[in-house]
Amino acid sequence: MSALTRTANSGFFTLLAISLPAGFALAAGDLSGEVERQAVNPVAIVMFLLFVAATLGISYWASRRTQSSKDFYTAGGQITGLQNGTAIAGDFMSAASFLGITGLIFLGGFDGLVLALGAFSAWPLLLFLLAKRVRNLGSFTFVDVVSQRLERTRIRLVAIGGTIVVVILYLIAQMVGAGKLIQLLFGLPYEVAVISVSILVLTYVTFGGMLATTWVQIIKAVLLMAGVTITAALVLYHSGFSIENLLAGAAANHPRGDVILSPGVLFQDPVQVTTILVSMLFGTLGLPHILMRLFTVPDMHEAKKSAFYASLFMGYFYLALIILGFGTAMLLYNNPAFFTPEGTLIGGNNMAAIHLATAVGGDLLTGFMSAVTFATILAVVAGLTVSGAAAISHDLYAEVICKGAPDSHKELQLTRLTTLVIGVIAVVLGILFENENVAFIATMPMVVAASVNFPVLFLSLFWPGLTTRGAIWGALAGLVSSVGLIIVGPQVWVSVLGFEEPLFPYNYPALFTLPLALVVTWLVSVTDRSARGEIDRDNYLRLLIRSEYGPEGEELEIARH
Amino acid sequence: MSDSDKLAAIRAKTRMRLLFALVTLGCYFAFVLNWVDGPDRALAQTLGDSHINGSLLFFVGLIISFILLELLFLFIYRVTGGGRE
Repeated sequence: MSALTRTANSGFFTLLAISLPAGFALAAGDLSGEVERQAVNPVAIVMFLLFVAATLGISYWASRRTQSSKDFYTAGGQITGLQNGTAIAGDFMSAASFLGITGLIFLGGFDGLVLALGAFSAWPLLLFLLAKRVRNLGSFTFVDVVSQRLERTRIRLVAIGGTIVVVILYLIAQMVGAGKLIQLLFGLPYEVAVISVSILVLTYVTFGGMLATTWVQIIKAVLLMAGVTITAALVLYHSGFSIENLLAGAAANHPRGDVILSPGVLFQDPVQVTTILVSMLFGTLGLPHILMRLFTVPDMHEAKKSAFYASLFMGYFYLALIILGFGTAMLLYNNPAFFTPEGTLIGGNNMAAIHLATAVGGDLLTGFMSAVTFATILAVVAGLTVSGAAAISHDLYAEVICKGAPDSHKELQLTRLTTLVIGVIAVVLGILFENENVAFIATMPMVVAASVNFPVLFLSLFWPGLTTRGAIWGALAGLVSSVGLIIVGPQVWVSVLGFEEPLFPYNYPALFTLPLALVVTWLVSVTDRSARGEIDRDNYLRLLIRSEYGPEGEELEIARH
Repeated sequence: MSDSDKLAAIRAKTRMRLLFALVTLGCYFAFVLNWVDGPDRALAQTLGDSHINGSLLFFVGLIISFILLELLFLFIYRVTGGGRE
């Protein structure tokens, strides 16, 4: 038995909160609490050091090619569609996706797949609706897109606010989850784990910008998919390369039996499932660090290829997780070595994937998967950091304060300074929130992105009637309602504040807050008789042409403004 | 290409974008049917005597269908876009 499995307790559920619906997390166990440090796994350490050495080398290489703000924010726009699609997959296939979904299938079988579908299905929509138009209209961030058509200063301030809220909340959840995870996998103290993540990410981002971040994400995606493939192949080997044997073995060994192959173990309420699906789908489409990746490619063709390749890789990944998930049920439940004397899985349900690696591949595969999981966290935090830095230095400083004409050298300096500040903030918040229940913090970014960023972005691209006033009121309605309903929902009202019953029954309110934001935006826009409103409406056709044909096709004289 | 031709082409493309998006959304939210009690519960049926049931096939089918939809979308745009896509 590996060192990894020797000691742990069930306080590891914070990880599940990183990006998973809290309903899952709460179904799985407590999200807060201490995590017992693990004995050091030398294989994991060696593999992780190899990864760090390789990525630091890439950062050095990238730093010699990062001379301007465009290089920093978007890698000079020279990433290919295949590379960018892999990086997007690397950005989105988080530790929570890998460990969390596998752990949920281990716990509740089929119901764990809800999250996998939610995480995957945003990518076809990104391709159909957003990839080309966003790429053609923006330059560095999605805020550029919405401010093309609407009154720049006001809509930028609102969109920057949405971006910062999403990035900071996402960052807190990532850092707390990272600290707990690394503590568990590598035996490092929590503070050391958080600071190590921050230092490495700052090195990548400060010196190498988006180019280094992209390659960290690409390497991580390739390693993660390789690890998942190897583990899945070994699981299939144990089941005679038969899916039927795999499912039969899972049902036979799981305490709940055959019912784990059908819906209903974790969730019974279809509305609850719908709230999760809405939040995951539209939240992903509003995540600023994901949208920003569309600008790292040279043109709209590569942007569309990016979305397709990202879908392809993630589709493969989530299909492979079916094998891993049911493989955990087949191979772990009948092996007491993976359970505590009290009968719970050592380290908690999120450790199911790592235990599975131990069961089928021994210490070598366990070390590899642990190192890949650490790399996963680094890649996601790096992407968030670039996005947060761009919101401040580009969207706020360059476009709002300098009115679009900043000193390029100063902007790049500010970008690097902002990166450092974000890194420090991440460490401080990560340590402050160590023992807090972060489930609600993990919920907010997806719901806010779905209720604030997505409606503004979508309507600015597809609805001629949108005005600045409507966009601002809609965004505010989405923000206030989503934060308010999360507070009165089960995660805060019951789990944090200690009330017996929540005032609002669902953890993920985007099913209600997204339509509210759309209705408010529509209502305020159609009743907006201001001069600015007329300009906003008139701008639509010019932007529509540009969004489809690119800047070079914008020779029409349709727009009056 | 004249202004009106460009706008007509864009409208056609927009209709196609929205059609693909609606199909995706329809299939996506149909997944909730797994948690709805119906008269026959077709998704609960198994494939012969195996443990593979309709719900599992639905999940796998959705993932594969979405990827195929994307391929179709890119193919149609390549064919109808006159090399601009």
